Amino acid sequence: MTLETRGLRKAFGGVVAIDGADVQFQPGKVNALIGPNGSGKTTFFNCVTGMIKPDSGSVLFGDRDLTGRAPHVVARAGVGRTFQLCRVFPRMTAVENVLAAVRPGGLLHGLRSAHRQDETERAHGWLTRLGIEHLAGAEARNMSWGQQKLLELAGVLMAEPKTILLDEPAGGVNPALLDRIGTLVRELNAEGRTFVIVEHNMDLVMSISDHIVVFDRGRPIAAGPPAEVRADERVLGAYLGV
Amino acid sequence: MLIAAILVFPSLAPNPYILSSGVIVLNWAVLATAWNFVGGFTGYISLGHGALAGLGGYATGLLITKAGIPSFVALILAAVLVAALAVPIGFAALRVRGASFVIVSIALVLILLLVFQSWSSVTGGSRGLVVPRPFPGMLRPEHHRAFFFLYGGLLILALATWWLLDRSRFGMGLKAIREDEDKAESLGTPTFAYKLTVFVVSTAFTALAGGLYALWFGDLDPVFQFSVLTGSYIVLMALLGGVRNLFGPVLGAIVVGIALEYFKVEFGSTPLHLVTTGLLLGLVVMFMPDGVIPSVTGLAQRLRKREQSSIREFTAADLAEQRKRDREGATS
Repeated sequence: MTLETRGLRKAFGGVVAIDGADVQFQPGKVNALIGPNGSGKTTFFNCVTGMIKPDSGSVLFGDRDLTGRAPHVVARAGVGRTFQLCRVFPRMTAVENVLAAVRPGGLLHGLRSAHRQDETERAHGWLTRLGIEHLAGAEARNMSWGQQKLLELAGVLMAEPKTILLDEPAGGVNPALLDRIGTLVRELNAEGRTFVIVEHNMDLVMSISDHIVVFDRGRPIAAGPPAEVRADERVLGAYLGV
Repeated sequence: MLIAAILVFPSLAPNPYILSSGVIVLNWAVLATAWNFVGGFTGYISLGHGALAGLGGYATGLLITKAGIPSFVALILAAVLVAALAVPIGFAALRVRGASFVIVSIALVLILLLVFQSWSSVTGGSRGLVVPRPFPGMLRPEHHRAFFFLYGGLLILALATWWLLDRSRFGMGLKAIREDEDKAESLGTPTFAYKLTVFVVSTAFTALAGGLYALWFGDLDPVFQFSVLTGSYIVLMALLGGVRNLFGPVLGAIVVGIALEYFKVEFGSTPLHLVTTGLLLGLVVMFMPDGVIPSVTGLAQRLRKREQSSIREFTAADLAEQRKRDREGATS
């Protein structure tokens, strides 16, 4: 399913953060959203995922109009996300953090045990896959920043989204973990998940992305494969001010 | 153990005063446990639960005196009505978080106090409302005994419901709200619907406790029924015992409830009992912010064994080794 925005606009008082953005991400690919600081990338993410209501324009996911819908509706439609400043449930254990992402369903479904064996095994499976199974019983607040980043991703994956938005996955992580995150994204993408990544680490972006959208002043100024974007003069201008 | 204590206490109580104090402590225990559905699960601190109990009391009394409905039918019906009223109240109040929610819950108490004081043609106003006793021929000690068991049954029901929610997927969603509401919603939890549902459940138990109080005490005064102080006591009890623990609010209710009775006996109607209660709250917040039960169990764990950290980062060497193993696995 294609995630796209049409004429998306969001202003905070006199500051226009998103200025009529028409963006189409490629389904089944690793998409990257890059741009200088303050270019509106995170606001764009927040508008797409329902954390902020846009002033105008639309957010479409396949044939569903998700414009201004609540974040849980967007999540249930199949769009998962992580946050720029990694967010976990600090006083829950790692496995509970992942189990919290299980779709609750109706009232009777909601009264079922939160620790059903099949779901607990699936949660442990994600922790194992992300290399933090040994921390399953540890409270998230006691984990390192990098481990919390992986845990946040495990929770998102547990919810089985079709498209995953990662907001600065490389922010504050060590080079070894950065390598691991890049590999994970490629593996998970190969299994059919679409990714949209906001990232400042250009080495990571260029190495894992299939399609890059460049933002400047709240709107896309270029889009295409990494090699094409890298050579685009408008992109150089936005980043270097030339 | 709790059930055994409830069954045995009336027989051990040396006089009717102690038995009536037991009824009051159990009333606090139900109120604190009911509050903990909202405060413990979602982290929303309501100072308005005293007023919700007052609503339950007045609704029960008015259904008996104005509509002629039998006492215990009125009690149940009042709880249903107040729970229904909790939907629009929660709809408005739960849109704000943190300190704003606390202020809204205080506003609820003050609004209800004004309404019940002013609407004297229905509520009796400042003169109060006399509620007929459900067991007219019963002597005082037997009356206390009957209500002690009724409150005991209600407490067990409230605890069983809390336990059920605690282990459920719904409860997991509520706890996720407590931890990080935006994050919970981004994972697909309909946070507002969850908060509203648990607020209604909490209100139903609170109204039942308030209704039982009306039937037991037989006289309602709006100044006491709609008091921020009542809500503050409930919060103090839950915090003192531990809001993340099933029996935390019960323990808090026993400690604070007995302390309140003791202070009243010792200091009469002087404000000194308020000062001592304030000191107690200060001590809890400073030294046991998670409550008595988690603090004591945590201390016991530390004494049993020094916990070893199970946390480690993957080093580059770990990852290189892992990649090497993966390659070898792929080629073999």
